[in-house]
Amino acid sequence: MYKIAAAIITSALIVSAVIVFHSRAQRDLAPVDTQPTENVEVRDGVQYIILTARGGYTPEMSTARGDLPTKLVVRTNGTYDCSASLVIGSIGYRKTLPQTGEEVVDLGTPRAHTTLKGTCSMGMYAFSVRFM
Amino acid sequence: MTMHTHTFHVSGTHCASCKVLIEDTLKAEGSVRGASVDLRRETLEVEVVGEEAPEVLAALLTEKVKANGYRVSLERSVAHERDRVLWKAVPLGLGLLVLFFWLQKSGILDIGLGGPVTPPTAFVIGLIASVSSCLAVVGGLVLSLAAKLSRDTAGTTRTFVLFHTGRLIAFAVLGGVLGAIGGAIGVNPTLAGILGLVASTAMLLVGLDLVGVFERRTLTLPSGMFRRFRGVEHGAFAPLTLGFATFFLPCGFTQSMQLSALSSGSFASGSLLLSAFALGTLPMLILLSFGSASFARGTHAPLFFKTAGVVVIGLGLFALLTGLAGLGIIDPLVNL
Repeated sequence: MYKIAAAIITSALIVSAVIVFHSRAQRDLAPVDTQPTENVEVRDGVQYIILTARGGYTPEMSTARGDLPTKLVVRTNGTYDCSASLVIGSIGYRKTLPQTGEEVVDLGTPRAHTTLKGTCSMGMYAFSVRFM
Repeated sequence: MTMHTHTFHVSGTHCASCKVLIEDTLKAEGSVRGASVDLRRETLEVEVVGEEAPEVLAALLTEKVKANGYRVSLERSVAHERDRVLWKAVPLGLGLLVLFFWLQKSGILDIGLGGPVTPPTAFVIGLIASVSSCLAVVGGLVLSLAAKLSRDTAGTTRTFVLFHTGRLIAFAVLGGVLGAIGGAIGVNPTLAGILGLVASTAMLLVGLDLVGVFERRTLTLPSGMFRRFRGVEHGAFAPLTLGFATFFLPCGFTQSMQLSALSSGSFASGSLLLSAFALGTLPMLILLSFGSASFARGTHAPLFFKTAGVVVIGLGLFALLTGLAGLGIIDPLVNL
């Protein structure tokens, strides 16, 4: 009797945890428009991808054009949490951003059909940019 | 009068001092000539004068120590009782973990504070940091240490006073150094990441031990590790150093405060900033360390240790996975 109740509670907790984390994963996998997202703009032949870092990165998913010189702009505004500590593994970038300000990261010319992934240094906030 | 030696199983022993308590209580009885508890095997050997049947004797002895939560029996009912406790501890621990991660996801903690960082704001940031995901590493470490120490050894108060002192000294001194030297130095994030992995692995091992994985099987941790824990209790150096080392553990808030100290320009201002931050994290950590110690002495001690084990395993896993992602070794699996 007791075990059954405990087993029900345990499985309910596990299921709810899976749902919470999975819903996000599903959203990440959803088919994305191949059009650049709103946070992407091209000025003087340079593509800028603008992200806000505070309690995570927004937007978490961006789409940009490939084969263009690209810069990532990360804006902080009173950011004290982990998202101020930016890591982009593929280009070996690692820096603690100022609490309020704008950091420009040169991404070179990313190839089309690649994905750039970044996290905070503790790894619990992440973002990705798809190049189309 | 003939002397008889009996061996019984004893359950409810959760600390080193239990052995002494049971032996002393039983030896105070007129008919008991000798009593010896083996904590590892959870057995009790008594020498008694008289002709009572073992069943009767077990009931008599239980009567004497029942008030302290122990039970003397012929059969090994220990495994069964452990299962019962574990069945309570798993949902309880998981519930606490869900609550913790829900708090992280809710966004309540993403409070923005404008303007330059002053010691009062650093204190507030410390308060926030102490319930944030940083708690997974530093708090998890404190919880596992508190539970493990109070189960295996007698006292924890002195150890934790030293630990928290070491932590405050580290933040005051190193904060000052950062302020004085400025941009010349900085805490290497890769080093912080690696330390975080070491801490989360240690948490996982202690968590598994608390839950009781190592008692069931013949599987044991290297004895050196436990001797190290003993060392933490008896020496002053180890807890101080451990507290000191928390300065380098990965935590976004800590890193951000270190950056503020770097640009603050003087030893005094850097030291003041980071001291205020560390003081802000203190209430939660004190609650964790001394709260655990008081639970560990209560009647629900076995439940507390198992629940703490489940929580520590969960936090350790989270810290390990996110730490690996932070170092770029695996793709991020969790996004809060």
